[in-house]
Amino acid sequence: MARSQAPMRRHEARLPYFLLIPGLFLLVGMLYPFFLGVYYSLTNYFLQYPHLFRFIWLDNYIKLLGDSFFAYSLKFTLAYTLVAVVTQVGLGLGVALLLNSRIIGRSGLRAIMLMPLMMPPVITALMWKIMMASSRAGILNHLLSFLGVGPVNWLGDVNSAILSIFIIDTWGNLPFVSLILLGGLQSLPYEPFEAARVDGAAGWGIFRYITLPLLKPFIILAATFRVMDSLRIFDVIYAATVGGPADATMNLHMRAFFYAFQWYQMGMGMAYAMVLLALVFLASYFLMGYWKRAAEQTTI
Amino acid sequence: MRSFPVGQTAWRWIRRILMTGAVLVLVVWTLFPFFWIFLTSLKQPLDVIAAPPKLIFEPTTQNYEALFMGQKRGLYHTTRPDFPRFFLNSIIISCGAVGLSFLAGVPAAFALARYNFRGKEPLAFLFLSFRFAPFIAFLIPLYILFQKLGLYNTYTGLILAYQLITLPFTIWMLRSFFMEIPTEVEEAAKIDGCSWWGVLTKVILPLSLPGLAVTVILGFMFSWNAFNYPLMLAGRQTFPVTVGAIQFIAYEQVLWGQMAAASLVAVVPQLILSLFVQKYIVRGLTMGAIR
Repeated sequence: MARSQAPMRRHEARLPYFLLIPGLFLLVGMLYPFFLGVYYSLTNYFLQYPHLFRFIWLDNYIKLLGDSFFAYSLKFTLAYTLVAVVTQVGLGLGVALLLNSRIIGRSGLRAIMLMPLMMPPVITALMWKIMMASSRAGILNHLLSFLGVGPVNWLGDVNSAILSIFIIDTWGNLPFVSLILLGGLQSLPYEPFEAARVDGAAGWGIFRYITLPLLKPFIILAATFRVMDSLRIFDVIYAATVGGPADATMNLHMRAFFYAFQWYQMGMGMAYAMVLLALVFLASYFLMGYWKRAAEQTTI
Repeated sequence: MRSFPVGQTAWRWIRRILMTGAVLVLVVWTLFPFFWIFLTSLKQPLDVIAAPPKLIFEPTTQNYEALFMGQKRGLYHTTRPDFPRFFLNSIIISCGAVGLSFLAGVPAAFALARYNFRGKEPLAFLFLSFRFAPFIAFLIPLYILFQKLGLYNTYTGLILAYQLITLPFTIWMLRSFFMEIPTEVEEAAKIDGCSWWGVLTKVILPLSLPGLAVTVILGFMFSWNAFNYPLMLAGRQTFPVTVGAIQFIAYEQVLWGQMAAASLVAVVPQLILSLFVQKYIVRGLTMGAIR
């Protein structure tokens, strides 16, 4: 009996690796180009002049340090992420609370909220681009004219272009935050609220000292996903402004794309990509750790 | 407050009005773009650029006709972006990508859900990390590789590139569904003499059938949304609808009406499919993290 089980167990031990073969095969196919890219970031790879190809160590990265365009892209990427995520999580919390309260047509509202969520971001951007026409023919400008606000050059002006990107991004992703937080609100235990009410707490007090702390893991999780996606936002910017006007919406991702596919400097493009990847990695590392601690504290 | 019942009812009314207002704002904010794009798609070119924008106009289906026939007719010249072809391309690439991910993902998810082995969690997280990686880090080397390997502008190449989107998603979604099945059921099957193959095909897969369907549908939808990989790895023959829709921004002008029609047609599958997976969309977007 024991003898027949031993090879069986060895077979069992090898089984998961056997099951993973197709997946690992594809994984290698995904990792190979990645490491090739890391290598390219250490070269001066210029697509149109392959004979000049040279390994230049960290020269691309050193060049970035003194580059004012890089500084702007880095600043824009970080500032955009910070402002967008804080605003979207704040608004999303409001929407979640609204959807969680007793209002008519709650399930219908929830279904409507799902619509922007499954839109291709490019199409979302194109839809808004139509509404954001700069002249008085644009519907947004027409609506604003009732408030006495003169025609805004939505995507054509440095400041309003950044705002426009934020609006489009928020339309597409606010439902994501709202629905995660709504799910969180609906999963909260009943007892702490009951106890607080017995103790005479009401409205704001309950929200501040019970709802918010219990909701913290969900807020962090929603923020984590939003941070990662805002750091590397591309589709919306590409479709709406292509990084313009005057490079105002050129984040690291757009700049990497431009280096690679506009100027064919694959090495420099990869260097930008690596900086962005490092940012995403750092953000995910800290946010995931933060999320784990919050989840443990609230034991959800 | 308590001592003024009148004030309390007034407060309740203010609250109710504020909340109704908020609901209205939310509904208009979410639905208005769809409404406006629909109107725009029915407008003639001169009506699109009319200032102030026209709410009442003579509707035309010619934007849709131009979209599907690619014909040139008077003001309706088009950049001939072959939209039906793009639509078909989207279907082919998305189905291929989901199919491949499914074949590789089912055994992988089964292993990651049900077996303990060295390097399990790091491997799972390696797959997950693709969800967050900026696509450009893969796009640049893939572009160079595809040119060399002859995969550029081919369905095969795109289906392989789309694995970066669908494979991590499929593995994590399926894993989360498989883990929901109690191990007792599996143990019972093993006692009955089932091998791992029997456990997988007779227990795990039938019990997670809804999960499999959700994973396939959501994977298809995420592939449909993909834009940046096909933007550089596809050519005119293989463009999906997302890249096709942006072709209406021509060099000198934007064909607004046709672009609106294209945008709506491009999201029809998404709006229909999302009806079937409503409850799972958030779970899908968080790779199974939120149930």
